[in-house]
Amino acid sequence: METIAIQARCVTETRWAGIRRFGTIFRMDIENDFRNPVLVGYNTVLAVLLILIMGSLVGGLFADQSDAFAYYTITFCVFGMLMTCTTAANSFMERDIRRPNLRIIHSPAGAFPIHFSKTLASATFGYICHVGLLLVVCPLLGMSLGESPLLFVALMAPVELASAALGTFFCCVFRCEETTNMLLSTVVELMSVLGGTFFSLDGMGDIIAGLSAASPVRWLDDAFFRLAFDGDAALVMPVFLGAVAVAALFVAGSCLLFKTEDYL
Amino acid sequence: MNELLSVKELEKSFGDKHVLKGIGFDVRPGEVLALLGPNGAGKSTTINIVSAALQADSGQVLFKGKPIRGQIKTYKQRLGVVPQDICLYEELTARRNLSFFTSLYGLHGDDLEEAVDRALELAGLADRADDRVKTFSGGMKRRLNIACSIAHDPELAIMDEPTVGIDPQSRNHILESIGDLRANGMAVIYTTHYMEEVEAIADRIVVIDHGSVIATGTSDSLKNDYATSDASLEDVFLKLTGRTLRD
Repeated sequence: METIAIQARCVTETRWAGIRRFGTIFRMDIENDFRNPVLVGYNTVLAVLLILIMGSLVGGLFADQSDAFAYYTITFCVFGMLMTCTTAANSFMERDIRRPNLRIIHSPAGAFPIHFSKTLASATFGYICHVGLLLVVCPLLGMSLGESPLLFVALMAPVELASAALGTFFCCVFRCEETTNMLLSTVVELMSVLGGTFFSLDGMGDIIAGLSAASPVRWLDDAFFRLAFDGDAALVMPVFLGAVAVAALFVAGSCLLFKTEDYL
Repeated sequence: MNELLSVKELEKSFGDKHVLKGIGFDVRPGEVLALLGPNGAGKSTTINIVSAALQADSGQVLFKGKPIRGQIKTYKQRLGVVPQDICLYEELTARRNLSFFTSLYGLHGDDLEEAVDRALELAGLADRADDRVKTFSGGMKRRLNIACSIAHDPELAIMDEPTVGIDPQSRNHILESIGDLRANGMAVIYTTHYMEEVEAIADRIVVIDHGSVIATGTSDSLKNDYATSDASLEDVFLKLTGRTLRD
């Protein structure tokens, strides 16, 4: 075997080194999400199919078929944003990703970039998928996002971030991808049913209406519906601030609970 | 002699289980130190503490005379850890894996490319650099696993059973590579259950069992002290740690 001397230059840590390193890890995490065909399919093709199927099946309950498609475009977009939490769990704990992450723990990067980068990357991945979904579905079904489409897509960003932060936080609590995914899926699906994602609960009595009003999915749906159909931005700021606060809370929780030992 | 690394009186418990009971040893620059012990002896915990991934309950790890806790980033910059598992992105090429992991140590641009090329040569994978890792054999993955840990030219490498489950050719290549790294001044802490590997590459041996160091020395000195000069290292190891089956 030929003797090779390893003579890489010793690099002194600078203030920018940490930022550059975080950027490198973040890019890799985004790539990993996009390389996963299940994640990409779930967040794009499946969502389009669900909108088309539900819009067609339940169209008779709406005044117009196009109203049904518009309704399900927004509710499934919100549902997709909330399910970004499972993308984060997958990115964080999936075996093929988890092992290389061990090297990040051993590198000077330390622990924080591992969980925070997964949160940020999952939110970005979900955001790109769901904005892409709207770009395809809206022209296809002839619907618009109202007078402020940019405000609509801007409001999606903090919701994606809050959802991804929740997924990462659950991983730090339960330390198991399967348990985390099962719990997150159950919680999001329950909230979505109550929020009227799959079918409207209006007119199903006071108790159901009360439960529906308590679901955060309903609040999000209301904010996006009012923005798209009524040009009403009154709920934009509360949703924006609420989502940012939730994201900050869960990121802080992840910082407290994430233990490198769990990766060893 | 100036020690590169000094491990002093490490204590660690997990719940009621007292795993490390005052482990201590030194590593000198350019030396290969074999850390031996049966399963459950405390090797992995020791390695995790020495690699700064786990905190000891008490005791110290000194790098160039200073506690690593006060200089974690600097210490990790000069450390390379070869995990027991294959820790690679299977969907990426060998070059991309090396490039990503090495860039975490602050290398970029031409320095990064040079380091990656040298590591590929060291691993004997230059001709497969642009192939995806998932197409590699077990031996090739093991070699790349090591290359990803030492491409940034650390002063100290910790190798946790780096030759598990590979063919004799790849094992021979890895052992020769470690010899080359040592010749270039890199110190190595090496754990394995293969005694012939220890005899081939280790300058000194530390045997631990039940969380304590039970013997230290060269292969020859251990044989002289604990068996006969014509005994094998495995005989010595079994004499020191017993023949009772471990978990």
